[in-house]
Amino acid sequence: MNKRKIHEHIFKLISYLAGITTVLILFGILGKITIEAMPSLSLYYILTPESDSPRFGGAIANAIVGTVFLSVLSTAMATPAAVGTAIYLKRYAKDSHFARMIGFVIDVLAGTPTIVIGLFGLLVLVFYLRPITGGFSLISGSIALAILIIPVIERAAEKAIERVPHDIEEASYAMGATRWDTLRLITLPYALTGIVTGIVLSIGRAAEASAVIILTAGYTQFLPEFKVLANERLLFGIKIYPFQDLVAALPITVYHAYEFPHFVSPSEGFAAAFVLIVIVMLINATTRLLLWKRRIG
Amino acid sequence: MTFFACTFVTVLVALIFITFVFYTAYPVLKSEGLSFITGKTWSYSDNVYGVRLFLAGTLVMTGLTLVLAVPLSIFTAIFLSEFAPRSVASTMRPMIELLVGIPSVVYGIFGLFVLAPIFRDHLNPLISGALGFIPFFYDSSPQLGIGLLLASTILTVMILPTITAFSEDAISSVPNDYKEASYALGATHWETISKVILPAASAGIIAAVILGMMRAMGETMAIVMLLGNSFNIPSSIFDTGYAMTSKILNDAGFYIEQATPRSALFGIAAVLFTMEMVFVAIARKLGGRI
Repeated sequence: MNKRKIHEHIFKLISYLAGITTVLILFGILGKITIEAMPSLSLYYILTPESDSPRFGGAIANAIVGTVFLSVLSTAMATPAAVGTAIYLKRYAKDSHFARMIGFVIDVLAGTPTIVIGLFGLLVLVFYLRPITGGFSLISGSIALAILIIPVIERAAEKAIERVPHDIEEASYAMGATRWDTLRLITLPYALTGIVTGIVLSIGRAAEASAVIILTAGYTQFLPEFKVLANERLLFGIKIYPFQDLVAALPITVYHAYEFPHFVSPSEGFAAAFVLIVIVMLINATTRLLLWKRRIG
Repeated sequence: MTFFACTFVTVLVALIFITFVFYTAYPVLKSEGLSFITGKTWSYSDNVYGVRLFLAGTLVMTGLTLVLAVPLSIFTAIFLSEFAPRSVASTMRPMIELLVGIPSVVYGIFGLFVLAPIFRDHLNPLISGALGFIPFFYDSSPQLGIGLLLASTILTVMILPTITAFSEDAISSVPNDYKEASYALGATHWETISKVILPAASAGIIAAVILGMMRAMGETMAIVMLLGNSFNIPSSIFDTGYAMTSKILNDAGFYIEQATPRSALFGIAAVLFTMEMVFVAIARKLGGRI
C-alpha cells in the first residue's frame, strides 16, 4: 500500500470517528438526562403547580403553563412585524442599498447574545416601564422574547418567499392581477408552510431562552390567573392578570437546581429539563412534519 | 404600505435596542476610556470599571472551544457529505439538529451534575498527570471539576450542530465537476476533499466557524454554571475564570437601579455587541447568513 492510500484510509477513519462521536454525544446526553430525570418524573410532578406542592421545587405545572404562555404570546407579537418585513424586503424593496442595510440590522439582531436582550429588557421593560408592564411580568418577558425571535421568523419567511417560483407570479401579473392580488393569492399561499415552519420554530426558541426570561419574567410558584384587580402603582390603577403578573418558566426551574441546590435536587432539575426538551422537540418535530408534508404535496 | 410599516416597526425595534445599549453604556465608556477594555479592576464601591478579566475569560474560553469544536464539526460535515451513505446521512442530520433543541440551561446542569464529577475524578487527573509538566495542562485545583475545560467541552457540543450544518451546506454546494475533474487527474478521494473541495468551500466554512464562535461568546446560562465565576484569568485548561455574559447575569439584578453600575454593565454588553457586529459583517462578506 502506498503513502497516498494510507492517507486516504487515515482520513476516512477520522471522518467516520467524528461522525460516530457526534451521534454518541447526542445519545449520551439525552440518555443520561432521561435516566437522571426518571426518579422525579411523575404525573403529580408535571400536573401540580409548585404552590400546591409541599416544598420548593416539588412540582412544575406552573412552569409548564408559564413557558407555554411566554412562548405563544411572544411569537404572536413577533409574527406580524417579522412576516411583514420579509414580504417588504423580498417583494417591494428588492435588492436596493436600503434593503441590504435592513438585512444587516436584522443579522445583528439575530446574532445578539441573549443576555444583552435580557439586560435591555430588565432596564427598559421591568425598570423604566414598570407602571405599564408591572415590572417582572408575562408582558415584559414576552416583549423581550419577541425581540429575540423577530429575526428567526423573518429569516424563515424570507427563505420561504424566495422559494416561490417567479413563473407563477409572472403568470399572475400577465393575467392582469395587481401586485397585492398576486401577493395575496399566489405568493403567500405558496410560501405559507415555510412561514408557518419559521413561526413554530420560534416558539421553541422562545421556550428555551433562559437568559432573557430570568431577567424579565421573574418567577412565581402559582399558576397564571385571569382577573383584574385594583393596583395603584400601575397605569390606570388596575393590574391585569396574567399579563402584568409574575410568570414561571421551565428554564428557571432548571436553573433553580444550580441556584438552590439545597432545595431542588439535581434529579428534579433534570426532570424539568426533560419536560422542557420534550416540549421543544415536539415543536421541532411539528416543524419537520410541516416541511415533509410540503415535499409530498 | 402595510409591509413598509411592519419593516419600519422591526427596524425601529432593532435600532432602539442597539442605540439604547450604547447610550446607556456611554457614561462609563467615556469616563473610563480605553481603560474600560484594559483595566484589571471591576469595583462598584471604588467606581472603577475594567473588563479585561471578563474579556480575557470569554476569549480564552471561546478559543479553547474552537480548538475542540472546529475539527470535530468539520470532519463530521465531511463524513456527512462525502463518506456516509445517503440513508445514514439523512438519519444523522435531524439527530444533530436535535442537539440544537437542548436548551442551554439544560447543558449547564448536565455539565455541572454529570460531567463535572467525571472530569474531577478521571479526566483532569489523567491529563494533568500525563502533560502536567506543561503549565497549560497543569491542574492546580484538583478538587474542582468545573473550569475552562468543562465550559469549553459543553460549548463544543452546543456549537457543533451550527458549524456542522453550515459547513456541510458549503461543502455540498461545491460543483460536482470539480470533484470529477480531480478524480480524472487520478487523485484519491481524500486528496480531492483536501485539495479541491475544502479550498472551494473555505469561505462558507469560515463563515460557519464564525457563526459558531458567536454562539459560544454569547452563551450565558451554561457558562455561569461551569466556568467557576472566579476573578482570575485562566492560564491552564483546568483553571476557573469569569466570562462577560456571566458578569452581566450575576450582577444585573443587584445594580440595575444605580446609574453608574448600570452603565458599566451595559458597557460589557456594548463590548459584546461590538465584537458581534464585526463578526456579522465578516460572515456576511463571506456569504454566510445567521
